[in-house]
Amino acid sequence: MTEPSLNFADVNERQGAFHRRTFILGGLMGAGLTVLGGRLAQLQLLQAEQYKTLSAENQFNLRIITPPRGRILDRHGVELAASRPNFRVLVAKAEKEEFLRTLNQVAQLLPETAARQKQLLRELNKGPDFIPVQVANDLTWDEFARVNVRAPELPGVTADMNEARVYPHGGAFAHVVGYVAKVSDKDVAKARESGEVDPILLHPGFRIGKQGVEKALDADLRGTPGGQSVEVDAKGRPIRINTEGSVEPKPGKDIVLTLDADAQMRAIEMFGPESGAAVVMDTRNGDLLCMASAPSFDPNKFVSGVPGREYKLLNEYERKPLLDKAITGTYAPGSTFKMVTGLAGLRHGVDPKMRVHCSGAFYFGRTFRCHGRHGSQDLHNALRNSCDVYFYTVALRVGPDAIAEVAHELGFGQTFDIGIDGQKKGIVPSTAWKREYFKDHPHPDMRKWWPGETPSYGIGQGALAVNALQLAVYTARLANGRKKLQPRLIKSVGGVERPSGAAFGDLPFPKEHLDRVRAGMAAVTEVGGTGYRNSQLGLGPIKMAGKTGTAQVRNYGSGSRKSNVWRLKDHGLFVAFAPIENPRYAISVIVQHGVGGGLAAAPKAREIMKVVLLKDPEMQKLITQPLSEPIQVAGL
Amino acid sequence: MTAVSINRPGEGRGLGKLGQIDWSLVGLLCLIAGAGAVMLYSVGGTSMTPWAGNHILRYTVFLGMTLVLALVDIRVWFALSYPVYVVALLLLVAVEAVGDVRMGAQRWLSLGPFSFQPSEIMKIGIVMALARFYHGVSAEDARWSIKLLIPALMIAVPVGLVAHQPDLGTALLILFTGAAVMFIAGLSWTVIAALGAAGAVAIPLMITFVLHEYQRQRIFTFLKPETDPSGAGYHTLQGKIALGSGGFLGKGLGLGSQSQSDFLPEKHTDFIYASLAEEFGFIGAFGILILYGLAIAAALRIAAQSASHFGRLAATGVTATFGLYVLINAAMIMGLAPVVGIPMPMLSYGGTVMLTVMIGFGLILSVRVHRFTEIGRGAI
Repeated sequence: MTEPSLNFADVNERQGAFHRRTFILGGLMGAGLTVLGGRLAQLQLLQAEQYKTLSAENQFNLRIITPPRGRILDRHGVELAASRPNFRVLVAKAEKEEFLRTLNQVAQLLPETAARQKQLLRELNKGPDFIPVQVANDLTWDEFARVNVRAPELPGVTADMNEARVYPHGGAFAHVVGYVAKVSDKDVAKARESGEVDPILLHPGFRIGKQGVEKALDADLRGTPGGQSVEVDAKGRPIRINTEGSVEPKPGKDIVLTLDADAQMRAIEMFGPESGAAVVMDTRNGDLLCMASAPSFDPNKFVSGVPGREYKLLNEYERKPLLDKAITGTYAPGSTFKMVTGLAGLRHGVDPKMRVHCSGAFYFGRTFRCHGRHGSQDLHNALRNSCDVYFYTVALRVGPDAIAEVAHELGFGQTFDIGIDGQKKGIVPSTAWKREYFKDHPHPDMRKWWPGETPSYGIGQGALAVNALQLAVYTARLANGRKKLQPRLIKSVGGVERPSGAAFGDLPFPKEHLDRVRAGMAAVTEVGGTGYRNSQLGLGPIKMAGKTGTAQVRNYGSGSRKSNVWRLKDHGLFVAFAPIENPRYAISVIVQHGVGGGLAAAPKAREIMKVVLLKDPEMQKLITQPLSEPIQVAGL
Repeated sequence: MTAVSINRPGEGRGLGKLGQIDWSLVGLLCLIAGAGAVMLYSVGGTSMTPWAGNHILRYTVFLGMTLVLALVDIRVWFALSYPVYVVALLLLVAVEAVGDVRMGAQRWLSLGPFSFQPSEIMKIGIVMALARFYHGVSAEDARWSIKLLIPALMIAVPVGLVAHQPDLGTALLILFTGAAVMFIAGLSWTVIAALGAAGAVAIPLMITFVLHEYQRQRIFTFLKPETDPSGAGYHTLQGKIALGSGGFLGKGLGLGSQSQSDFLPEKHTDFIYASLAEEFGFIGAFGILILYGLAIAAALRIAAQSASHFGRLAATGVTATFGLYVLINAAMIMGLAPVVGIPMPMLSYGGTVMLTVMIGFGLILSVRVHRFTEIGRGAI
C-alpha cells in the first residue's frame, strides 16, 4: 500500500474487464443450471412414466411357481405315480467369488454339498441369471430347518419346499408308467425346434417325463405354471412378495390307467428274477389290466438322477431290465400261434375232422421234428397236444399268405394306439413281406418265398416275431369272437374318458371256426393237455383255456434242445382266457429262456389270472354261488 | 494514503469482523449440507449410520474452520498464495513417487493415520496463485503478452501431474478453474477463439491416443448407454431411471426403490443427487439447483465488491470450481456428461471434497469481510 505509482486508468480498465468477464462467467453458469433444470423437467415431468416403468421392472421379478404334477392312478384309484414334499436349498446366481462364498456358508450347515461344488459351479453358468441354482435336495426336516433358520443372514440362500415325483410301487410299473427326470439340454433343444421353450423347463428341480405314460402325456400331467411377483434388490435377491402380481399355478391333470395294481404286482412277484412279460386284457372292452415287464428297475432313482455306474449295470445286464418286453421286445410265438394256422386252414377248406398222422417227424425237403409221436391227430387233438406235424401239414395246404392274413386279423404285425411310445410291430411273414424285405438283396432268390419255409411258419417259428401285447390282443379277440378289440391303457385324462377298445368293428371269422379253436384251447388245460398241470385255477367253476408255446431261440441242428446257458434256452409262452364260457379276461405270458411254455409261463398266467378274476365282483359271485347246472364246454 | 485512516468494515480486529460475514451465503451452504444429511440418512437405510451422522459432524467442524478462515486477513491469503501452490505442487510430485494406489489410481498420500489427495489442495492453490499473479499484471498484459506463459505453465504442470495419476476428472477441473481465472482476468477474445479451435482439434486426438481404456469406455457409453445396460452403461442408465421415476413429487423419503436397493452405484457419493431426485422428485431436485445457483450468485457478488484485484479473482476462481462441480455432477447424473468421479459439493458424502470446498468458501468469505482492504500491486 506504499506503492505510489498506482495507475488509476489501468486499475479501472482491469476492474472493468473483470466485471464484464465475471458477468459472462456467471451468465454461463446460470445458463448451465438452466439447461440442467430443463433436463430435469424433461426426465422427471415429461418422461416420468417411462422411467417409472423401468424402475418397476428393476424392482419386480416374476418368479415361476411350478404346478403340482398330475397323478397317475390305476383303475381303482391306487396311486402309481404321485408327488411328495421335497425340501431343498437354492442359491441365487452371483459373481463366482460371491457364489463360492455362499456355497461355503451353506456347506457349514450341509456338509455333503461341499463335495458337489464343481458340479454346482457348472450349473452357475447354465440358464438365465434370474434362476437360482439348486444346491441341495431331498433334505430331512432337521437339515431343512437348520438352513431355513439361518437363511435370512445368508445372502441369496432360499430354503423351500417343492414336490418330487414318487413311484410307490417301485419297479412294478417302471416301463408302462415310466418316470420323470431332469430336463436335459436335448429336451430343451427339442422344445426349441417345435416352437417356444416353456420357461418352466429351465426351472431348477423341474422334471420332465422320459418314458411311458409320464412321457407320452407329459403335457397333460405338467399343468400350467404360476407366477409370483417378487420385489428384488439389484442383485436379484428377493425382498418381499407382491401378492397382487401373482398368478396361481394350475395343477396337472390326473391320469387313470386301465391297469390293476394288484395284478401288476402279482405279475412282477411271479417273475422274480426271471425275464419276460405278462399282459392281461379285458375281453369285453380291451382294457389292459396288467402290462408288466421283468426284471424291472426302480424309477424313483431316475427322478433325482441315476448314477452313471448304476445305469451302466442296468443297461448291460443280459436280462435287459430297461427294455419293455411287453411292447418293445419281440419274440417268436411258437406253438401259441397254432390257432392262427388252424383258423387259416378252416377258412381254406381244411375239414376240422381231417386227420394227420404224427410219427414224430415230417419230411418236406428236410426233416421237421415234432416234440412227440402223437399218432392220428385232428385239429382238436393237435391243439391239445400241440402237435407240430399237423400244423406243418395245414400250413403247406394253405400257404404263407393265408396264415399272414389271419395273423393280421387277430392283431399281429401291427401297433395299437395305447397312448405310449415304444411298441414294435414285429414281423408277420408273407410272400409280399419277403419281396419287400429283401428287395435290395443282390440275390433275387432271396425275394422268393420257398415252400421249405412254410412248415416252420405253421408252428410259429421262422421269421415270425410278435410282442406280448399282440399275443394278449390275439387271445382276447379269439375269446371275444365278435369284436376287433383294441387294447386300451389310458382310461381317462383329467376325468375325460377315452374310447372303449370294443368300438372298432367286427372280426371276420364264423362262430363255428372260432368255437373249434377255442375248444382246442380248452382241451389244453384239461387232463392230457400240454397245459394241464399248471393251469388249474382252483376257483370252482371258473376254468381257463389256453395254449402253451415253446419257441426256439436257435437252430438246434441235430444237437440237443437242452442247454445250461441261460441265453441259449428256449422261450416259454402261454396264452389263455377265462372263464371258458363267457370269457372275461385274456392273458399272455412270455418267459424269456424259460424253456417250456407249460412249465415256465403257465403258472405265472394262472396266478395273475386268479388275482384278476378274484377282484371281479361277477366272478366272485360265480365262485361263491352253488351251480345250478353243469358247465357246457363249447364245441366238441 | 489517507484512505487507510478511515475505519472501514473488516479493518477491525478479532470477532468484530464476524458481522461482516455474508451470513446468507453461510445459510445457503447449511441448507445444502442439511439436504445432503437427509439424503445420506435415507440411503443409509433411514439411519444416521453409516453416513448421515458423520456428514453432519464433518460439516459442523468444517463450518467452524471456514468461519475462522473468513477472519484471516486477505493480505495473509495473498502472502500465502505462492507458498500454498508450491507445497501442493511438491505434494503432487511426492504422490507420483510414494503415493498409495487406490482403485487403480495413484492419488493418495499418507501422513501417519491421515491420508489425503494433494490434488484437492491444488484446486485451491491454483486459484490463489493465479489471482496472486494477475494482481500484479496490467490489463494490457493480461489480455495477451509473453507474461501469460507463467500462468499457462502454472496450470499445465499440475494438470499434467494429476492426469498422470490418472484422475481425469480432477485434472479437467483444475484446467477449467485455471482457464476461468485467465478468462475473467481479461484474456483476449482472439486468443480464446484460437484456443477453442485448437481444443476442437486436440480433444478427439486426446481421446484416441492419450486416454486410458476405461476412460474411453466411459465416454463412449455416455454417448450410447443403452448398448451395454449391465456393463459400462449401467451407471448412466440407472441414474436416469432413478431420476425419471421420481416424477414431480418424488417417491418419498426412504422410499426410492432405486436408491434403497443397490441399483444406484455410489449412491452415497457421486449419485446422491439421483437419490434426492428420486425421493423428492422435480420439486426437490430443482430446489437444490436453485440453492446452488443462489450460492454461486452470492459468491460472485462478493467477488464484484472486492477492492483488491486478488480478492476479486480468487473469489471468482473458487466460485468457478464450485460451479463446475455442480454442473458436471448434475450433467453426469442426467445423462448429459460421461461418468467422471466428481461429487456434488456439500451434498455427497466424503470429507476431502467438503474440506476443499469449505476452505474455498473461507477464502470467499474472507474476501467479503476484507472487501475494502486494498493490496499493493507488488508483493507484500
